[in-house]
Amino acid sequence: MIRRTSLPISRRAALALGAGTALASLFPAPRPLRAATAPAKYFIGVYMPHGMAREFWVPKPGFDLSYAGSSLAPFDDPTSHGRSFRDQIVALEGLDLTAGIRSSTVGHDASRVILTGSGTNGQNASIDQFLAVEQGLGQATPLSSLVLGVGSANPALQWCISYAKGGTALPKIIDPLATFNHAFGQFLVDSDPTAIARAQREQRLGKSLLDYWTTDLAALRARAPVAERDKLDQHATALRELEKRVIGQSVGCVAPSTPDPTQFPIVASYQGGEPYFDVICNLQIDLMSHALACGVTHFSTLFLADLSRTHFDPELPEDIHTDVAHRYVTSGRSGSGGDPTSQARLARQNRYIYGKIARILQRLSESGLLDQTVLVAMSDMGDPAQHSSRQIPTLLAGGWGGALRGGRHIDLGAQGTPSNRLLVSVQQAFGVESDSYGQSIDPSILSGSLALT
Amino acid sequence: MTCTRIASWLMLTTALGCGTSPSATDHGPPTQALEPALRRLSIAELEAEAQALLGTSTELASALPPDARQSDYSRNVGQSVDSLLLGQWFDATRAATEQLDLGQARFPTCARTAAVDDQACAQTTVASLASAAFRRTPSASEVQQLLALFNLGAEGTDFRSGIALVVRGLLGSPKLLYATTLGEGAPGPNRLSNDELGSELSLLISGQPPDEPLLLAAARGELVSGHERERQALRLLQRSESRFLYRRFIQEWLGLIGLNGLAKSSQVVSGFPALREAMLSETNQFVDDVFSHQAGSLAALLAGNYSIVPAALAGFYGIQPTTLGARVDLTSLGRIGILQQASFLATFAHESESAPVLRGKAVLTRLLCLDFPKPTDLGVEIVFPPADPEATTRERFDGHAANAACRGCHATLDGVGFAFENFDAAGRFRSSESGRAIDTTGSIELDGHEVALADSSALSRALADSEQVRQCAARQVARFAAGKTDGLVEQAFVDSLRSANAERRGTFLGLFLEFVKSDWFAWRKSQ
Repeated sequence: MIRRTSLPISRRAALALGAGTALASLFPAPRPLRAATAPAKYFIGVYMPHGMAREFWVPKPGFDLSYAGSSLAPFDDPTSHGRSFRDQIVALEGLDLTAGIRSSTVGHDASRVILTGSGTNGQNASIDQFLAVEQGLGQATPLSSLVLGVGSANPALQWCISYAKGGTALPKIIDPLATFNHAFGQFLVDSDPTAIARAQREQRLGKSLLDYWTTDLAALRARAPVAERDKLDQHATALRELEKRVIGQSVGCVAPSTPDPTQFPIVASYQGGEPYFDVICNLQIDLMSHALACGVTHFSTLFLADLSRTHFDPELPEDIHTDVAHRYVTSGRSGSGGDPTSQARLARQNRYIYGKIARILQRLSESGLLDQTVLVAMSDMGDPAQHSSRQIPTLLAGGWGGALRGGRHIDLGAQGTPSNRLLVSVQQAFGVESDSYGQSIDPSILSGSLALT
Repeated sequence: MTCTRIASWLMLTTALGCGTSPSATDHGPPTQALEPALRRLSIAELEAEAQALLGTSTELASALPPDARQSDYSRNVGQSVDSLLLGQWFDATRAATEQLDLGQARFPTCARTAAVDDQACAQTTVASLASAAFRRTPSASEVQQLLALFNLGAEGTDFRSGIALVVRGLLGSPKLLYATTLGEGAPGPNRLSNDELGSELSLLISGQPPDEPLLLAAARGELVSGHERERQALRLLQRSESRFLYRRFIQEWLGLIGLNGLAKSSQVVSGFPALREAMLSETNQFVDDVFSHQAGSLAALLAGNYSIVPAALAGFYGIQPTTLGARVDLTSLGRIGILQQASFLATFAHESESAPVLRGKAVLTRLLCLDFPKPTDLGVEIVFPPADPEATTRERFDGHAANAACRGCHATLDGVGFAFENFDAAGRFRSSESGRAIDTTGSIELDGHEVALADSSALSRALADSEQVRQCAARQVARFAAGKTDGLVEQAFVDSLRSANAERRGTFLGLFLEFVKSDWFAWRKSQ
């Protein structure tokens, strides 16, 4: 018998972690937090494929999102999403993925730059991992972060936005059932006495295994070259996460329903999974939002891999990647010329994906987390036909704990502003006292923040 | 040394010959050396370890997130142990050990009937397991630590439960998860420890943990000698499991590993997912054949004038199904080697059209080890040629030649890629496109000479005979062995091969043997 409702919140794990184990000594000290309490609490980063049709992305005067063809229309659609989120979003224009441009990490590869602010050879973590792991803001929750995707588990450069310190891409969970098991499976308790006894034995054995591995890892780290220690620190983080699970840190909420795998028999792109991507997207979003609401984690990313061949929109061709994104002909900032048909097509695909982000906002609003959430949604390209890493239309959403004033279109200009400044603003919203983020051969691009309030 | 003739799954008609490289014995630290490193095992290697410990075939690692590849290879120093991987590995190993069968041949006989308090049998079993897991002989204190785990697991239960906990402990141990190449820790350049030499040799040559004779040779310090490493490598090649390593190496070298994640337009081909399987099957069988009969000869891989075509692919190729595993001559269909196999052609193509740029780049970067800047590095705006039902792909892409900014690279890339134009987006033969005859002429600069090409068969024959390709293959072997790209070590290895015989330089197995006996295998820079 599976008991879905909730165990009381336990602090045992947090206490155990502070008990002077070898793991604690493996972690570097975090950067100082500001004296004031950090107001933002949750972070969600979303990767959107296919670039953006600027022509249907820029809000009309009065922050009108509902004009014909607008790709941002889902944020002002109470019928579909319960309420309007017009005042909870900022349409931010004029960002360049400059760190990528400086390091030849451009085109599809530029997805690596979105949350790291660094190119291929960058060694720093993405902002979600920096906050959750290096700053310790994810330490108190069962999972420090939840890295999800739809369509492709490929850990290659162009398929990931979450990176550990040291520069390694983090794998994504693309199967909703695996997401459920990873985020909630540990809290489901069988009430049968035999099963409880088995679980207690497993907990005892698990702790011994963790002690054994932790000792060995510390010994290995002691003789590892400095350049290899980030790798072992990541391993130590993983052991710490596992320790929380083994010890049985619990959360207080009602677990969601187990996803029904018959609704998504295939989960991978080009293996036949495309028809199921809509339901997979929705499940991943709902599970992610539920995990945040339950306190399972405060940090999550969602990588929506190339959503081609989904056949969701009969008005669009089968191959969105080639026949929509590659065929887009922009009007540019001048607003003249270009191919209106290609622009309208790309906007339709953009709108579909923004509908998914509106769903995230809906779920966060329902659970009361929206005001404390920092959401950043970005593509790796502005103009997808040119595979351009410049002028990336960016959506910011949530309340950022007061660090974001919504309902605005902010245009940073055609000259291009390094996206690192956005990441600086994100870390500052979480109370991290630092004026730079990322790595580059050109350090001038790393500093500064954006005026978002 | 005695020239050894390889047997078993390798059915070579000639020996690989004796190495003549001056690095055949230990000469001390080379001028160029690799950095000391920790390498997390690839998923295939983790699977091999799980099988070695459990004594039965498993699919334990299939639940793990896919390998991150670096320099194209899954065997690389960029791999890490993240939370998702560790959690899934923890779950998978727990489930697998619940089914642990001590009747498997890998366990000592005493384990089948041992009582829960049989410490002697526990010690024997634990030591044997730890050897496989650590890829070296465990120390007495390590065995004692594991015996403590055994006693905890066996408490109140049985002998099997104690061993099951030990197996879980070993499968999650950093000593298993990482292959170290740190050396002895002395100041200055370091030779790998005896244990590291054994572990690396076995993983690189067979993809498996070391067997008993190799562990003994390592413990006796014999692997310090390049000749002895070579002798052991030749012996390890007899393990039939090693063929999987070479299949993977070839797939990753040529980028074919990406085929499984590719789509093709239904207007080009129907049922592509099933065809993909058949395409990879053809390549795997062909690679097995070339390695087992011709030591992984580059010439045979590129221009062997045969393939082994699965029945599921016969119709696609326009031939009658052949006897299972039989060689078939496809030269009349324009297919003379691995570059004309559908796996390569479909991988390097777009969803609905052929891709001369991708095919040209694949040949030039993977077989000649050339680099090309990205268009965005040069400030070049990418313009995809618009669809034109009246034109061939070649005619549409000829715009590259007209544009001065693109011409620099594309004159080279397209000259190679156009030679494949008689194969469509899925790799099916075609003689016309859009009602117009296909033009497969092209050119390539090879070994300092411009070579005119009638088609891709001519390209493959030219590549098969090229010293530049042989040198790039040597670089690829060094890259795979190092787990990263190190241009200086690769160049030094290439230079060292000048004195090696042609059979060594022209075959992948020969190149692997040359590398393991070299000082670049055995030495690392100072930490």
